[in-house]
Amino acid sequence: MTKAVYIHIPFCKKICSYCDFCKMYYHQEYVSNYLKALETEIDKRYQGEIVDTIYIGGGTPSVLSVLQLRELFRIIKKIKKSKNIEFSFEINFDSIDEEKLVLLKENGVNRLSFGLETLSPKGQRLLNRVNKKERIKKIISKAKELGFNNINIDLIYAFPGETKEDLKKDLDFIISLDIEHISTYSLIIEEHTILYIDGVENISEDLDAEMYEYIYNRLAKEGYIHYEISNFAKNGKESRHNLCYWNNEHYYGFGLSSASYIDNTRMLNTRSINKYLKGDYLVEKEELTKEEIKEYELILGLRKKTGISKEYFIKKYGSIKELLENGFLKEDSNRIFIPENKMYLSNEIIVKILKEDV
Amino acid sequence: MKKIRNFCIIAHIDHGKSTLADCILEETGALSKREMKNQILDDMDIERERGITIKLNAVTLNYKYNDQDYILNLIDTPGHVDFSYEVSRSLAACEGAVLVVDAAQGVEAQTLANLYLALDNGLDIIPVINKIDLPNADVEKVTKELENIGFKKEEIILTSAKKHTGIKELLEAIILRVKEPNTDISKPLQALIFDSVFDPYKGVITSVRIKNGILKVHDQIYMMNSKASYEVLDITVNTPKEEKRAELLAGEVGYVYASIKSIEDVSVGDTITLLNNKAPEPLAGYKEMKPMVYSGIYPTISSKFEDLREALGKLKLNDAALRYEPETSKALGFGFRCGFLGLLHMEIVIERIEREFGIDLIATSPSVNYEIELTSKKTMMIDSPYKMPDKSKIAKIKEPYVKCSVYTPSEYIGPIMELCQEKRGIFKNMDYLDEKRVCIVYEMPMAEILYDFFDRLKSYTKGYASFDYELIGNQESNLVKLDILLNGEVVDALSTIVHKDFAYNRGRSIVEKLRTIIPRQLFEVPIQASIGSKVIARENIKALRKNVLAKCYGGDITRKKKLLEKQKAGKKKMKQIGSIEVPSDTFIKILSTED
Repeated sequence: MTKAVYIHIPFCKKICSYCDFCKMYYHQEYVSNYLKALETEIDKRYQGEIVDTIYIGGGTPSVLSVLQLRELFRIIKKIKKSKNIEFSFEINFDSIDEEKLVLLKENGVNRLSFGLETLSPKGQRLLNRVNKKERIKKIISKAKELGFNNINIDLIYAFPGETKEDLKKDLDFIISLDIEHISTYSLIIEEHTILYIDGVENISEDLDAEMYEYIYNRLAKEGYIHYEISNFAKNGKESRHNLCYWNNEHYYGFGLSSASYIDNTRMLNTRSINKYLKGDYLVEKEELTKEEIKEYELILGLRKKTGISKEYFIKKYGSIKELLENGFLKEDSNRIFIPENKMYLSNEIIVKILKEDV
Repeated sequence: MKKIRNFCIIAHIDHGKSTLADCILEETGALSKREMKNQILDDMDIERERGITIKLNAVTLNYKYNDQDYILNLIDTPGHVDFSYEVSRSLAACEGAVLVVDAAQGVEAQTLANLYLALDNGLDIIPVINKIDLPNADVEKVTKELENIGFKKEEIILTSAKKHTGIKELLEAIILRVKEPNTDISKPLQALIFDSVFDPYKGVITSVRIKNGILKVHDQIYMMNSKASYEVLDITVNTPKEEKRAELLAGEVGYVYASIKSIEDVSVGDTITLLNNKAPEPLAGYKEMKPMVYSGIYPTISSKFEDLREALGKLKLNDAALRYEPETSKALGFGFRCGFLGLLHMEIVIERIEREFGIDLIATSPSVNYEIELTSKKTMMIDSPYKMPDKSKIAKIKEPYVKCSVYTPSEYIGPIMELCQEKRGIFKNMDYLDEKRVCIVYEMPMAEILYDFFDRLKSYTKGYASFDYELIGNQESNLVKLDILLNGEVVDALSTIVHKDFAYNRGRSIVEKLRTIIPRQLFEVPIQASIGSKVIARENIKALRKNVLAKCYGGDITRKKKLLEKQKAGKKKMKQIGSIEVPSDTFIKILSTED
């Protein structure tokens, strides 16, 4: 049963130097054509399930004009929502105002995810994202005033030139906003990004790891639960939509470049806007075997604080025992998980398990 | 009646031997220009990629000269120092040799080494100066060099394989100057096996040179050394297209297929005769070469051990110089101690096993064969540091020494002497070949040549020096066993035997290199070098701090899994030593001087 929907809005006013998501410059005409195509895709593929979560991401969904947003919500009305739906919307501080916030509220959005990334001036220059503290405060308090009580802020750290002092300032500020959810990402320099092309290099592995430790220790003190490698939430405010990915549950992905997982089949939409507008959506389709499903369960499950179920995996992989002995995994009565201080090694740990080739 | 000439081409590496062979094929009409693949005789991938000939290959050419039909059998030979054994095999099947010298580079180390081998075999030699089309060709100078080593000016033939000049003259010289094979068709069959290969469809194929008698299809043959007998199923010659023959006559060269099941039955150098009409005695084989370099070869995946045994068996078919016997390493599991003629031979065998048999390998540091005199007055030979007895039981250690000749432009004399001195070399002689080129002779421990000598010689002389060596016997040295410890455990596969005066530096450099080669692990790993119980160098590999996919959302999931799959594949290429994952090329890398 598919109970989650992701909708991709690939438009942006500015291109961030680290971004490797599918995006393009905002253009009036393209947007209206895109929304038409999106509607067609949903009409064709959506099977009428009642869904628990909707996530509108990008790109920058908030760059859409009020009119375009209205059009988007008209389309989304076609999707049946459960009573306690989590309905998230990604926002950039430079493309949001009170009018749009009101519109989101009226259309049932109940979770806002803001890209803040960093306030350090050199970081903002490097990432090509400029946000002013005052404006951020104003918008967050306006959102709260309108009744939004599930707000996330994204933070990027470990960018070249960043010091621990810079990170501490960013965290201080985000904590002062008193929001429910924080996602933190150490900067990945992906191929096909401006940073990669400019030959920017990562900071040292050691400093990066120290920053991560600082983050989770600090956020724990502030009452945030470290429920996934990169995600922190106040109790009960974990992102249900993202948990659906990590629990290896099914979801629809609509829009350019979005991924779906339906009927044990992983599918990927095209990244070509021209193909997409013509209705030529799919580029990849892979039906998973039972083994692969279990592998995904392991890979994704071990990202979470709660880990994976014990009975199935412990029998299957002998290496788990050794990792438990050495403290790279821990267990309680029915789960196995990576302890917080080893989460930064999760790939290494997962690969050790997968290497067994069962 | 066709007349036969059997000849080979010998040369220093890169002097244009294979392209000259191609020209001969073209000239005799064996192949049209359109059919010519570059360097047709080098049919192994590795040969063509590296531009060197490893395995010999025989081709039968028809040629008319002065209205007389000739069969010219061209037997290709490798040019590298490691393969002088192969050269001697080819020579045993020939009566003549074309000695090729590059018009720009002149006489080099292996020019002489190969020439002496050919003279030892009583061959007629035709000196050729090749590549005369090169802008920096100096025919006059090279002619003088050839005169210095005993040729007459009028004997020398000038060729350019590239411009196809001088090839007719060369063929004429082969016909007029190479003697006819001294054979007798009426005597009982004697055929020398000078090569063999394993073909997955046909089984063992042997290359033979018929000395006396006739070999026919369906003959019952008998191998005089291995005492095995088989029926001949097929006879072919390589023209270089495969051509079937009903028989091979005395003097001819060809390929024999029989239903040979056991590869051990065929050994290169053996003589084939007929089961029901045996020759009274086998042909004199040729000087068998002893391995000079030993290394442990292990499959990266332990379960491939049997596959490796089979691969070595098949390779040995046409590489009689290869030796192997099973050995066990605590660190690496089951493998084989292999003996090679030299480092290049070792590299090529490893590459062939990996490429042709698809087995990933780990090779341990090459070692020479040490002679150990025990306090009990007994002597033993050890070809591996693992086998070194306890220090208290050793009275003396002797190691093989080589006479090493370096041919070089005179401006590099200084750095070469410094290098040889540093390698414990003892200066013996220096000869000026002409005003600008010298031959420097040193005696030095063979082991020192194994450790970065080639690389440094090449870099000190910008590649201009050439080099050859021959074994001169064992000499006593002050040697110790240097152990390497990972995480407190001796890794037997990393142990080496070194001169005591070098032990500290060598230990330091191995430990430093290991620190850069071995990736960070889940825990800190100390690396130590020790002699006995004394630690002489130490480094730490810090524990890994980060290997994580920070963001992992919807669309990313498949891609992230692929990334993990890639990491998994990478890990599988690593060898697990205790709890440490070590890249499989670690053992070879610690030998290289590059950082």
